[in-house]
Amino acid sequence: MSAQLLDIISSAAIFYIVAAGLLIVFGVMKIINFAHGGFLTIGGYAALVTTELGLNPWLALPLAALTGLVIGALVEHFVVRPLYARPLDAILATWGLGIVIGQLITIAFGREVQFVQSPVKGTTSLLGEDYSLYRLLLVIGALVLAAGLAAILQGTRLGLMTRAVIMNESLARGLGINSGLVRFASFSVGSALASLAGALITPLSSVDPNMGVPWLVNAFMLVLVSGTSLVSLAIATVVLGGAQVLISAFWSPILGSLTIVVLAAVILRIRPQGFARE
Amino acid sequence: MNRVLLSASPQLRKILGLALLALLAVGVAPFLLDIYTVNILVRSLLYACVALTVDILWGYTGILTFGQSAFFGIGAYACGLAFSHLGLSPTVAILAFVGGLAVAAATAALVGWLAFGYGVSPIYVSVVTLVLPIVVTQILFSGGTFTGSSSGLSGFDTVDLDLETWFWIAGGALVILTTAAWIFVRSDAGRLLVAIRENEQRCEYLGINTSLLKTMILVAAALVAAAAGYAYAAYTDVIAPELAGFVFGTELVIWVALGGRGTLIGPVVGAIVIDLVSAYLSGSLPFVWKLVIGLAFVLVIVVLPQGFVPLLRKGWRRLSRSAPPAEPISALRPAPGASRRHSTAGTSLALQHVSRHYGSLKVLAGIDLSVRPGELLSLVGPNGAGKTTLIRCIADGHERSGGRVLVQGNDIGRRSPQRCVAFGIGRKFQTANVFETLTVAECLRLARHRLERPSWWARGSTLSVPEAALNVISATGLDRELGAAVTHLSHGMKQALELAMVLALEPSVLLLDEPTAGLTKPERALIGGILTTLAREHALSILLVEHDLDFVREISSRVVVLHQGRIVLDGTVAEVVDSALVRTIYAGEEHAVTGAAR
Repeated sequence: MSAQLLDIISSAAIFYIVAAGLLIVFGVMKIINFAHGGFLTIGGYAALVTTELGLNPWLALPLAALTGLVIGALVEHFVVRPLYARPLDAILATWGLGIVIGQLITIAFGREVQFVQSPVKGTTSLLGEDYSLYRLLLVIGALVLAAGLAAILQGTRLGLMTRAVIMNESLARGLGINSGLVRFASFSVGSALASLAGALITPLSSVDPNMGVPWLVNAFMLVLVSGTSLVSLAIATVVLGGAQVLISAFWSPILGSLTIVVLAAVILRIRPQGFARE
Repeated sequence: MNRVLLSASPQLRKILGLALLALLAVGVAPFLLDIYTVNILVRSLLYACVALTVDILWGYTGILTFGQSAFFGIGAYACGLAFSHLGLSPTVAILAFVGGLAVAAATAALVGWLAFGYGVSPIYVSVVTLVLPIVVTQILFSGGTFTGSSSGLSGFDTVDLDLETWFWIAGGALVILTTAAWIFVRSDAGRLLVAIRENEQRCEYLGINTSLLKTMILVAAALVAAAAGYAYAAYTDVIAPELAGFVFGTELVIWVALGGRGTLIGPVVGAIVIDLVSAYLSGSLPFVWKLVIGLAFVLVIVVLPQGFVPLLRKGWRRLSRSAPPAEPISALRPAPGASRRHSTAGTSLALQHVSRHYGSLKVLAGIDLSVRPGELLSLVGPNGAGKTTLIRCIADGHERSGGRVLVQGNDIGRRSPQRCVAFGIGRKFQTANVFETLTVAECLRLARHRLERPSWWARGSTLSVPEAALNVISATGLDRELGAAVTHLSHGMKQALELAMVLALEPSVLLLDEPTAGLTKPERALIGGILTTLAREHALSILLVEHDLDFVREISSRVVVLHQGRIVLDGTVAEVVDSALVRTIYAGEEHAVTGAAR
């Protein structure tokens, strides 16, 4: 039983890491970045490059985040900016970008499944279980990420501006806040977080050019039920991620893989605002 | 058929001629093309049928769907499973076809029920259609040897037809479907799709059941996709879960976007060309080709949202110096029987203890009001008094928090706006609420939709509207703009158009939220005259929200003053407009009001 508990906590942490960037972009820009899966894949391959170059596996994290940040900034400027007024088209254009990223990676690295080196190996004893140390480190990573995002949003000037844009963009603009800058920063940071998440999760499985798609779908559903709040996202990842762990363990892994999308669709039908408060 | 053809409009004759040419091309193509191309084209033509349904859903109706692949997969598996497990016989083939279509239709109806319920957000349909293919694929994966799991089924005994016949079936079906879709979207009923995309709320307040209509379109699209899937499985002899998958669902959207959404022919051409080229390049440059498609898709969405076909069409027009075909303009005529008088007896509108609160904020508290036929009641009060909220509570059963609303004796309960319209409600919104990309005539025809069933295949040449609407139209010069797109009209003209549309509903209780804002003084006077005539001679009950007290004084037969969610005064014009209380309320002196109300 305690194995399931640890699975629930670490799965929720992983989903939180994967979905946080998508939520920030959705909160600020009111668009869903369907290239999020592509950025995740970029992060995974950044980890692969680190492994192949024989570098310290921890270096994969800053490398992934930096790559995501730069590409995200370019994408925001050239693709997303013209689509501010067309949110549905922004979904499609970013989905197209995801395809482009996937194909470029296929051309560069091939389509086969590859493995990366984990920065931490082995297990540790917790609650009477021998549990993967790396998964436990991801829980700490998620907590650090949540604390860091909260500190930025609550404690810095850019964070204040971001919160203002999330609540009421036209009013924020009227007050002299450069909402274009906030959008640019949010999209770049969101993309960097996606790539960072990709680098963090690859030691658990493997990399392939389409690895981002299932993560994208789950993250998309989690963001829809969380609205624009990082707190709601934490609740949603625990509830839905937890349900997925339990259904996979006690019922069937195939049903487990559907848990998040189906539950989220049901929740949104009954309560359109999902886990958000209003 | 000949009579239909002869009476058809030149545009219809042209498209039927083009369809015949296309059929002819389908007939000879297998003899002119090499066998590999024909082989691939059968598949491409079936895909194009599905792309067509995505265009109707997304391009015309605005329902962005990622899930048409699921219905294609359902049709394909109906065929593959039946032939694999039951063997091939005509009975099995027919039952599998009917069964597959039935499952697809039921699934689409479920999607519609989920996505188009009251209060469900507009993006929800995209969410459900994204979830659907994922669920269907996982079900197929978990089917073990029955569904063939991830590798699918192949090599089952299938219908023995030669390649040419398959080509004729797929090509013929595509031409017929495209032609039918072309005729439908240009018919009077077909304009509804665009109207829903443009302004669903206005559609509901014109008494149109948009949820039912969208569900019907989903079901029809699912049937076509499932039939195409069935043919695909019977033709290729291979089925795999990817056919039902989310990636194929998004590919369909990409083909439609590249060809040109909302053009029918664009998505058809897009699907055929892209699939054919993919087949040719799959050996040599598979990844580069997918990269090119991805890049083209991003580019088209960003800089060319209408796709390639409209661009080609524009280029062709410039080359041939021909103008785009003019839309036929309807002639107006008075609607028969529309000048009837409503009964003057009893109450047409009764509100009992109606309240509305948002959380702890009370906007309306215990409103009791009854309106007789023939009354022109003006609702006045300062901003935030609850006037517009009151109008909303009368026109939509979901709006109020408590109390009852009776329209012509019918309790509106929790009924949707569209059902309230059927009881006799007509609502004009505060800001002009019309269909921006449609023409004036099309807007008026949509307003008549409830009373005169529009044709599913033709465009009416005349448009019958009740006299009162005709008066508004001619008084404001709208009759000279019948063929113009609404977006080019001035603000005042749009207001007048919405009023005319509401009057075209032939309501017995008319709710008008500042109907004359943005109109010139002579226009206001004219509209005032029309309203008083409607109340006096046709015994309509009119509820008017107005800030201009002079206008109120001129036309009202009764004035109700609303303040902080309560009725504080109710009487004749003389009693109310000149009362000290009204002046105090507008001046905002709080204590004076509460004192007087006590």
